Amino acid sequence: MSYNKVILKKGITFHNINTNKFKTNLCAVFLTFPITYENATKDTLIALMLKRGSKNLKTREEITSKLAELYGAEFDCGIDKSGDNHVLKFYLESLNEEYLPKKENLLEKSMEVLLDLVFNPNIEDGKFKEEFLAQEKNHLEQIINSKIDNKAMYALNRTVEEMYEGKPYGIYKYGYVEKLQGITAQNLYEYYKDLISKCKIDIFVSGDNLDIKEILQNNAIIKSLNDREPEYVTKGSSSNENTEKFVEDKMDVAQGKIVIGMDLKLQSEDEKYWAQVYNTILGGSANSKLFQNVREKASLAYTVSSNYMRLKSNIFIRAGIEIENYEKALGIIKQQLQDMKDGKFSDEDIKQAKRTLIATINNIPEEQDIEISYYYGHELSGNNTTVEDYKNKIENVSRENIISVANSININTIYFLRN
Amino acid sequence: MKVIENDTVKEKAYFEELENGLKVIVIPKKNTNKKMAIVGTKFGSIDNHFIKPTTKQEVTIPDGVAHFLEHKMFEQADGTNSLDTLTALGVEANAYTTNDHTAYYFETIDNFEPAFKELLNYVFHPYYTDENVEKEKGIIAQEIKMYDDDPISKVFLNALQCMYNVCPVRIDVAGTVESINKINKDILYDCYNTFYHPSNMVMAVCGDFEPEYIINLIKENMEKMDKQDKIDRIYPEEKPEICEKFKEEKMEVSIPTFVIGIKDEVEDTDIVKKELLLNIILNCIFDENSKLFNELYQEGLVLAEPDLEYEYSDIYSHMMIYAPSKDPKKVFEKFKKEVKRLIDEGIDEKTFNRTKNKIYGRILTSYNDASQIARSFMRDYLNNIVSFDDIEKWKEINVNDANEMLKNKFKEEKMILSVIMPKN
Repeated sequence: MSYNKVILKKGITFHNINTNKFKTNLCAVFLTFPITYENATKDTLIALMLKRGSKNLKTREEITSKLAELYGAEFDCGIDKSGDNHVLKFYLESLNEEYLPKKENLLEKSMEVLLDLVFNPNIEDGKFKEEFLAQEKNHLEQIINSKIDNKAMYALNRTVEEMYEGKPYGIYKYGYVEKLQGITAQNLYEYYKDLISKCKIDIFVSGDNLDIKEILQNNAIIKSLNDREPEYVTKGSSSNENTEKFVEDKMDVAQGKIVIGMDLKLQSEDEKYWAQVYNTILGGSANSKLFQNVREKASLAYTVSSNYMRLKSNIFIRAGIEIENYEKALGIIKQQLQDMKDGKFSDEDIKQAKRTLIATINNIPEEQDIEISYYYGHELSGNNTTVEDYKNKIENVSRENIISVANSININTIYFLRN
Repeated sequence: MKVIENDTVKEKAYFEELENGLKVIVIPKKNTNKKMAIVGTKFGSIDNHFIKPTTKQEVTIPDGVAHFLEHKMFEQADGTNSLDTLTALGVEANAYTTNDHTAYYFETIDNFEPAFKELLNYVFHPYYTDENVEKEKGIIAQEIKMYDDDPISKVFLNALQCMYNVCPVRIDVAGTVESINKINKDILYDCYNTFYHPSNMVMAVCGDFEPEYIINLIKENMEKMDKQDKIDRIYPEEKPEICEKFKEEKMEVSIPTFVIGIKDEVEDTDIVKKELLLNIILNCIFDENSKLFNELYQEGLVLAEPDLEYEYSDIYSHMMIYAPSKDPKKVFEKFKKEVKRLIDEGIDEKTFNRTKNKIYGRILTSYNDASQIARSFMRDYLNNIVSFDDIEKWKEINVNDANEMLKNKFKEEKMILSVIMPKN
């Protein structure tokens, strides 16, 4: 495996991951820029509109039949928040030519299709197609409204929203229904042009024996893009100051969902490694305190875990419980937080947590999309810790380090979804 | 050891049946550090009535036992829990139960050997007590309630209940809070002793291994046991007709979701070819490229490619199409109309070949990942199928096969609609 990075233009980076582990090549384009309440809805709508057609593949039928011709190449796009950034991610996965019934250069074609879809939208008279836009607005409205359908995700999103009210990270990544009305085919295209000219662009290719750097450098689309000083956020805002703010929502549900949003006060980059070990012991595996005590000992939950959000220095504890067991479950959860502060965890707990984390690190090169995300994370943070260094930093975390993280924690918000 | 090599996917699989009846498949995979081991038993939620091989006594069990038993396999007589032991080794371990099988697995990069020994140890050494069985009821009740709030699980379960009259596939895999309360350790032991005999199980291992190493590791870590005869499973006679045409339920969701079900019959046929053709047909009718999808998209009736699946076991066979839509009934009408048109006019060769290519890509891509490979080899071999067969059948099939099958399998009287509607 080898990884190298080429600056194609200022603000436009090509990341080449050469690996022989897969039968597929995965191409990706990530567009990164600050998320705002004003524009989040437009961002999502752009991703949807780009899926509707490009200059060369004018309709979705043309796109999908092109992909089917490329032996079922899969085109996908995702919208994420990465700290205070909005990230539009476009992927195209296709077979390595070694596995085709008839040899042909699929990688080059795939890359061309992907670039065409992202950078060459189907524009008529200086605007997106009205007919498509009307459909995609409806589509987006459904996507936004469907946030209530997955109750566990809804509860988590609501907690983030409460903790970051008024701040970029509190913005719902798909946007807001009330913003749809003001969007026109023309102002959306103006916005798109502006976005493409300013955003950070990262292009990834993962696969075997790739000789695509020159192809990219000579690609007309890449040539037409301007140099830029991309605006993106490396150090975002922190959560609003709350202490155990209680929020309750009611819905017609069979199971209650409890989410505890916590702030970590970390002083240095290294403490992020401490926090990872802390979180794994608290709720990051089947051996964790939360899993053992809330589920295995008290039989109160089927799902209970905690997640550490590195970019935001937060830990979210989540559990699905019987509604009447709220106090009991909360009591047990808080006891685990206290035990962590008091150092009531064993050296074996530390060792196992490190092993779990190192297994996750070792798995990075084994999945193409995970490896891409890993290098993207480096790119954004400017942190170039190698996999070996990363593992060493985890190995070196001490009991005192973990206790110090435990004592830096403040419960920001306790959220409960119930009937 | 039997070896099967496939030139298209460029992989090999080794097959061996041990003296105790356990079937083992090793798929050596170069250039990967990831390793996956999975052992499955042909015991799922449909197996709720059978003859005990030892006493020849007929047994009927409460709903949800196969799944309950899966939860209870991890606890050991020495007070340890194998899930904890495996997690402590840094491996990712889990288990799942379906309608027709249960499986236990782990995937890892390091510590494969101790983890593999632990897997063999816990799956072949049950330990149930009144206390540990009671304790699990609270946990599983929460698992059931989690699915109660999930519109997708609900709409699929209701679809099965529309298609089937008495077939136990219409029972929820986890059972109900009431039914799991009837489960005790004796029931679990009865089922374990019947269905967890190695003769009823398949182990698949994928990673950069020598096949002999795996076979020896298994032999060294399993006690000697005689083979067991085929298990007598008793299933009710399911008639070919559907049970209900339509079922609707209300939940607190933003948009309706639907499943169109098409009931099929269990038949003695080339199942690999049938599965491949049905998948291609379903994609020709309703994938993102299809005429139907694009029409419905224009009208805002279906906005993302529907899930298209064909499922079968020894006692059921059906297709299901899932998607959210603001008007499921209208989608169903248009679907039926489109099927009729395709039957009349035939799927054209171009559409067929395009779809066939797409399926080729999907099959090949599934060989990227050690865990996916081990999973499919285990699951297929429980049904006496070698996973490479689909890629071989892929080369043989043509548009006439597809049109023939379309005519036979897509009858309107076999179609049902299950819908979840928003409360307000």
